[in-house]
Amino acid sequence: MGGLQKKKYESGAVTNYVSRNKARKKLSLSLADFRRLCILKGIYPHEPKHKKKVNKGSTAPRTFYLLKDIRFLLHEPIVGKFREYKIFVRKLRKAYGKAEWSGVERMKENKPVYKLDHIIKERYPTFIDAVRDVDDALSMCFLFSTFARTGKCHVQTIQLCRRLGVEWMNYIIASRSLRKVFLSIKGIYYQAEVLGQTITWILPYQFAHDHPTDVDYRVMATFTELYTTLLGFVNFRLYQTVNLVYPPKLDGQGEFNLKSESEEDYALESESYSEKLSALSASLARTVPLAEDEEAELDHFPAEGEDLEKMESREKIELEQNKQKKLFEGLKFFLNREVPRESLAFVIRCFGGQVSWDKSLCIGSTYDETDETITHHIVDRPSIDKQYINRYYIQPQWVYDCVNGKILLPVEEYFLGVTLPPHLSPFVEESEGDYVPPEKLKLLALQRGEKPQAEYDEEEEEEDEDDEEEDDQSEDEDEAEDEANLAKMEGKRAQGKSLSVKVTPGKAKPENRMRAEQEEKAEEKRLAIMMMKKKEKYLYDKIMFGKKRHVREANKLAAKRKAHDDGNKADKKKKKKKKC
Amino acid sequence: MAAARRHKSVAAAQPGFLPFKSSLDGNSSAIKRRKRVNKNKKKSWNKFSDIQDVEEFLDDVRLQERATGGLISEKTDESLFFVDTGITVEKDTKDTQAETTVKKGKHSKPLRIDLILQPDSRIPAPKNVLAFQQPNAKKQRRISERAAKLAATGVLPRREKLLQLRRAAAASGVSVKEHPVANNNPERAFYDLWNAGTPETADPYYLEQTKKKLVKRPERLNEKPSVLPAIEVIAPGGSYNPDFFSHQDLLREAHEVEVKKQKAEEKLARQLAVNEDKATEESTFKEQVEGLIDEEEIEPQETEGDTEDTVIGPTATEEKKTEKQRKKEKAKRIKELQRKAERQMIHKQQQLFQLRSIHASVKKQEQRTKMRQAQRKAQQETQKSMPRRLGRLKFQTPDLDVQLSNELASSLRSLKPEGSILKDRFKSLQKRNIIEPRERAKFKRKHKLKYSEKRAFREIE
Repeated sequence: MGGLQKKKYESGAVTNYVSRNKARKKLSLSLADFRRLCILKGIYPHEPKHKKKVNKGSTAPRTFYLLKDIRFLLHEPIVGKFREYKIFVRKLRKAYGKAEWSGVERMKENKPVYKLDHIIKERYPTFIDAVRDVDDALSMCFLFSTFARTGKCHVQTIQLCRRLGVEWMNYIIASRSLRKVFLSIKGIYYQAEVLGQTITWILPYQFAHDHPTDVDYRVMATFTELYTTLLGFVNFRLYQTVNLVYPPKLDGQGEFNLKSESEEDYALESESYSEKLSALSASLARTVPLAEDEEAELDHFPAEGEDLEKMESREKIELEQNKQKKLFEGLKFFLNREVPRESLAFVIRCFGGQVSWDKSLCIGSTYDETDETITHHIVDRPSIDKQYINRYYIQPQWVYDCVNGKILLPVEEYFLGVTLPPHLSPFVEESEGDYVPPEKLKLLALQRGEKPQAEYDEEEEEEDEDDEEEDDQSEDEDEAEDEANLAKMEGKRAQGKSLSVKVTPGKAKPENRMRAEQEEKAEEKRLAIMMMKKKEKYLYDKIMFGKKRHVREANKLAAKRKAHDDGNKADKKKKKKKKC
Repeated sequence: MAAARRHKSVAAAQPGFLPFKSSLDGNSSAIKRRKRVNKNKKKSWNKFSDIQDVEEFLDDVRLQERATGGLISEKTDESLFFVDTGITVEKDTKDTQAETTVKKGKHSKPLRIDLILQPDSRIPAPKNVLAFQQPNAKKQRRISERAAKLAATGVLPRREKLLQLRRAAAASGVSVKEHPVANNNPERAFYDLWNAGTPETADPYYLEQTKKKLVKRPERLNEKPSVLPAIEVIAPGGSYNPDFFSHQDLLREAHEVEVKKQKAEEKLARQLAVNEDKATEESTFKEQVEGLIDEEEIEPQETEGDTEDTVIGPTATEEKKTEKQRKKEKAKRIKELQRKAERQMIHKQQQLFQLRSIHASVKKQEQRTKMRQAQRKAQQETQKSMPRRLGRLKFQTPDLDVQLSNELASSLRSLKPEGSILKDRFKSLQKRNIIEPRERAKFKRKHKLKYSEKRAFREIE
């Protein structure tokens, strides 16, 4: 009835979306510039719910953006800078073509640059937001800082990334906030706790680069551009929070120590300072001098809506953390030249240890190998010629395992030439009933403060656990037996046979309070199960079945492992016999 | 110039004029018979008027001027002739000249090339007028006058002001504003970005209009497009010195992926394989009895139906309804409506007795919708962690990084890193829907390559 005929694809979902090419034209930018702008501003492509409607009836796959996002981009001042840059490049190319060298010089001097500060402020309105999102930035910066300066990206970018990475590591050392380290086949994962945020980042091993061809370097460089700016501002603020000088300065007396004759061999005068910073062996200068042991015990009050129990557990965790922070305090390490120096120096310093290396290995070594006070010498070769008596010669994995275990592990298993125990991932958290590798069980036992045992002790422990399980089962059986007895008696009664009733002198049953309590609890539980509705009962049964299955699987794995170990042992014995 | 030329011609016409070249002397050129041509056009005038004598004369005048600096006929006698009194003076001068040349030696002798380039004309080069003329002199004079006037009142031009400011800054020791530092400059400075600076006091409308205040970022943009963490830690089997079982787990996972891939490949191969007709027993038998058995012919029956549907559209042959018929129809319609209403009433009443079953069905339906809602929600939750289809290409999960049991390193020193972190990061960005998956643009040659033999290298035949 009347009115204009509605046309298709003029209202509804179509109006909310815009294709990438349209958006690009609207902003009058080239595709590369558009992509860069989107990355910098944090505008992501969007998958519409009804693609066909949005795509005006076509089903061709296309990249869509929300129209409102693109409108928002129109206000960005950087867009103008991009256009300026485009003109700059054009002019420069022309000047080159005409061989107008003075013109080229002048243009290069006036190269248009843009700042990302306002974008960082806009994307991360508060400091904590930025800290929360720093994972990506860290990984990217550390990755770029390991690149060779071969023209895959700007040398300046690599240098800046290196600087920021070193600043970050120095902050982590100063604030002692490292929590976990994991040496994987890919790279080294680190986890730290900064201002209550858990931050994970990955570091490639040194010299491990083959440049993959299916990675868009331009995109990655753009991300790095954003992330370096972000990380710079985050670093500044973090340094402020722990009263460190920014840009980082070495502590006065440390600097004095570091002055040595061979300094020029490593770096130019202009670079030696930053190199020394990146050696990670000296502490940083503080704006407010650190008063030692001034940390008074604060009174803890439970926060609102938090009961006493929670608070206690929190306190416990805090105490544990404080203990972990001082893990390597008082220990003096020396790194042999074949171990990954930077990673080890970083980890050791994060937990209060002192570290040094050969003078010819890197700048910033603080003491020599001949120092008598060295407690641990980290070596990664089967044997070493000259050994000092008063120090342990261990493999690098010890340091990482100690950090993950939060205790100083016994060094025996990490001596030179010894087959190392597996390096377990600290990022797995086993829930109840999961299979736990025996090494981890051992570690947990050590954490509980139990004495380090020999191998058969560990096996016994396993058996103990098995016994416990058996106990549970036997209890159940007991109950079943009681019931059976009762049933029998009742059956007899029904048959009308007289029971042989006799009064015997009572025996004083030794009352086991614990046992009684447990029984009572079990009884309660059983009653509760009995009182369940049919539906709930069904669900309960299902859950219990699942749990049991889980346990069964874990047991199976444990048995398998035992069989594996036994097999290994038998093999070894055989070999020994053969040797004999 | 014109005046000078006239002057010269006048001089030449006079009887005392001496031509410089001897060939010009006298009437050496034979008088030819004049060719009769119409000279009613400029072209023919140019072509046929004989001006050689004039040209020759003018050339001579120019030569005289170049060589002597003026017309010889106008020169005084003293400048042209001298009285020959003896040889001695000349000799003396020659001697002195020789001495001086010897003394000066080689160095003072100008190069021949310079001598060649030396102007040999006696006439001074004409002055370049433009070199002395000031363009826009009047305009500039006016501008300067105006500037002076303004300066008198104390208003300085912008350039002057900036210069003064710079001078003042230099004098006071404050560094002059430098070029903005590039983003990736390794020495760039950072500051506290998040401290609450001085609050803006200016009019917000003014700030908005002058683009000093940026547009507020919508909250929606701060949501992450995926719930996946930025760094996904590798499974425990990926440790450089893994626990046996976790390593086996990882290997199994990788194996399963590989098996799946292989299966898909095989399936594709199977589907693409050429379907060869292999002779079975049955088919060979059929072939052998071909033609021996009478096959019943099947007649096509499609042609029969065509003849009926010849009429297209309604026919207008129906007769007009009578009044009676109309009334009857109307009554019928009303009756029908009434019957329907009645039935509905009855149905409603009946529903009262079905209350329980209705209740049950409603409940059932509600339950179903609830279940579906939950399902949908769960699906949406899982979708949040899935890579979306953002472009032409689908997200390809990267291969798992695995080291086989025999590849595992015995110590940290001998570890060979697996996979590339750069690729891992790139894929992670794609997985989190931050960038769309793309493939490298293939190089496409615009023009065909052309081969030609060079002279330096020839194919040996």
